Amino acid sequence: MTKNVVRRSGGWARLPGRAVLLVGLLGVLLRTGFAADTPKPDPAGIATGDKTTAVDAGGNAFAVPEPTDKTAPDYAKNKKDFDEYQAQAAREPLAAKLADSVGHIRIATNFAWTLNTGYLVLFMQAGFALLTCGLVRKKNAAHLMMLNFAAYVFAFLAYYAVGYAFQFGAVAVNAAPGNLGGTPTLNHFLIGSGQWGFLGGNGFFLSGPAYDAGSNCLMLFEVVFMETAGYIIVGSICERINFWGFLLCELFIGAILYPVFGCWVWGGGWLSQVGATLNMGHGYVDFAGSTVVHAVGGFTAMALAVILGPRLGKYGKDGKPRAFPAHNLVYVVTGTFILLFGWMGFNPGSTLGATDLRISVIAVNTNLAAVAGSATALFFWYLLFGKPDVTMACNGMLAGLVAITAPCAFVSPTSAVVIGTLAGLLVCGGVLFNERVSKIDDPCGAISVHGFCGWLGAVCVGIFADGTYGSGWNGIGAATYLGHAGQGVTGLLHGDTRQFFCQLGGATLCAVWAFGATFVVFSIVNKIKSMRVPPEVEREGLDIPEFGMSAYPEDAVVTVD
Amino acid sequence: MKRIDSIIRPQNLDAVKENLAAIGVQALTVTEVRGFGRQKGHTEVYRGTEYAVDFVPKIMLTIISSDDRAKEIVDAIVAGARTGKMGDGKIFVSPLDEVVRIRTGEHGDAAV
Repeated sequence: MTKNVVRRSGGWARLPGRAVLLVGLLGVLLRTGFAADTPKPDPAGIATGDKTTAVDAGGNAFAVPEPTDKTAPDYAKNKKDFDEYQAQAAREPLAAKLADSVGHIRIATNFAWTLNTGYLVLFMQAGFALLTCGLVRKKNAAHLMMLNFAAYVFAFLAYYAVGYAFQFGAVAVNAAPGNLGGTPTLNHFLIGSGQWGFLGGNGFFLSGPAYDAGSNCLMLFEVVFMETAGYIIVGSICERINFWGFLLCELFIGAILYPVFGCWVWGGGWLSQVGATLNMGHGYVDFAGSTVVHAVGGFTAMALAVILGPRLGKYGKDGKPRAFPAHNLVYVVTGTFILLFGWMGFNPGSTLGATDLRISVIAVNTNLAAVAGSATALFFWYLLFGKPDVTMACNGMLAGLVAITAPCAFVSPTSAVVIGTLAGLLVCGGVLFNERVSKIDDPCGAISVHGFCGWLGAVCVGIFADGTYGSGWNGIGAATYLGHAGQGVTGLLHGDTRQFFCQLGGATLCAVWAFGATFVVFSIVNKIKSMRVPPEVEREGLDIPEFGMSAYPEDAVVTVD
Repeated sequence: MKRIDSIIRPQNLDAVKENLAAIGVQALTVTEVRGFGRQKGHTEVYRGTEYAVDFVPKIMLTIISSDDRAKEIVDAIVAGARTGKMGDGKIFVSPLDEVVRIRTGEHGDAAV
């Protein structure tokens, strides 16, 4: 070992000329590879959060960056500010050091918030599993549980491999999550560039630029959102889809369908930038995913339900629907409350930071819409059919939650009640429409709850947003908007019609994308190999034929040897 | 020996059981059954779609008695199970050829 080292050093000593050349070459390579403006990933999280992330309540940074563009019109002012900051830092070096610490702790606080709210969202999967399982017939309960379980597993792997990179691979270009340190390494569009990005391109398999503390924090939070979209489809395709068909659906959602629209809206893609490029308000705004998550899931579910067709016996020879009552209302209500609880992560967590104190308003708005939606559905059913239906009351609560998800940060509590009420009416109408008119068999009401009410939620941003929050959203109106300093995202009722049309167009585009892409892809898949179980399996119940076990084996008469 | 099968409303089981205990009936078998008679089924609404509950849940009591006690037992069941509305149920009394107590092998009246 020692010998080796000696020999090597001796070799270098004998060839000084070559060594200098090599070092020089390495230097050039390094400089081109990691030029000053090319950020490096920070897997250990040591360099994430310093004085540049120490900001005041208004988001103004303590540290003043050195202006680089000498041709900029405000260069002289910026240079003066920078010089003053430098002088001040020199006078108070301890303060400058403390600012590094404050900036790091701010990011750490936001990490803790984002990760913990992400865990809440993760727990929503348990709620979905209980809700959908309770709403189907007993003979398919084990199948429902397996679908819910496998959805998490396989969609997660697809999102890790490519989905995350497609969605957030270029987030730093236009939508850097400052609360998490900005993830500066996620800065490359695979398709498109600048303000017309269509697909992210950094961070496949969470390697290279995505092997970074901030990026992984974002990944954890975002993957459970994608899972939510993945779960939604279960409610519409259950009791008839076969397992392999279902796994293909989940891989498709996790790898492509969800990340594409997610990139357009949250990854800094073109739809979020239409405020700047086409003068459409603040660009398309969806705070926590009424469309990005729920409408994508809902309209995907709709396309799959159309392809699969209704369950055997759902419609009689006369075309009239028949009821297949829920087998366990205890699961349905428990599942709904778990979802409500998880939504306390879903919406407030979408600030990606506890230092954004709007989180309290968001949490209250979310709850208000939930109870308003639930009360509306309950009374609507009572007036129409003479008895309140607990499954519809639960659907109403979820409808309110889905609809408030996009506007939760931008509206007042009173508006949240109105939005929840509208959603409660829409979900009842949607369920009756699908059951009686369109005859799309949707066992758990997922199309109405997530599809229709998701669309409504995004449109409601364009109606009810009151301008108190979201100043500078998507880079629009940081100084003033509609002539007011600090004016944020604003809807129709508060004077911004362009925002309304932007929301209407964006939400409709979401529905078209999710339904259209799914319909095309899975019509072909279904032609190649049927995604539906054989009729005799469907009559018997899918539990035993598909998985060899039933959810309630004690129901069967069993002999042991 | 007689076999007495009674179809009654589930909610009347407790009253019937008390009446039977009061006259010293020491054994009975209860089965959860479903069916319809003149009461017919009824309809409910689930998520906006009507569905028929054709087979109404009922309880079937099976009691074995000696010939002389059968009338007394039937009267006790009727007293406990009658509400006067349609759907109270029916009692079937039939002759019984043989009874065997498995533990001892006793036959006939001794096994009742």
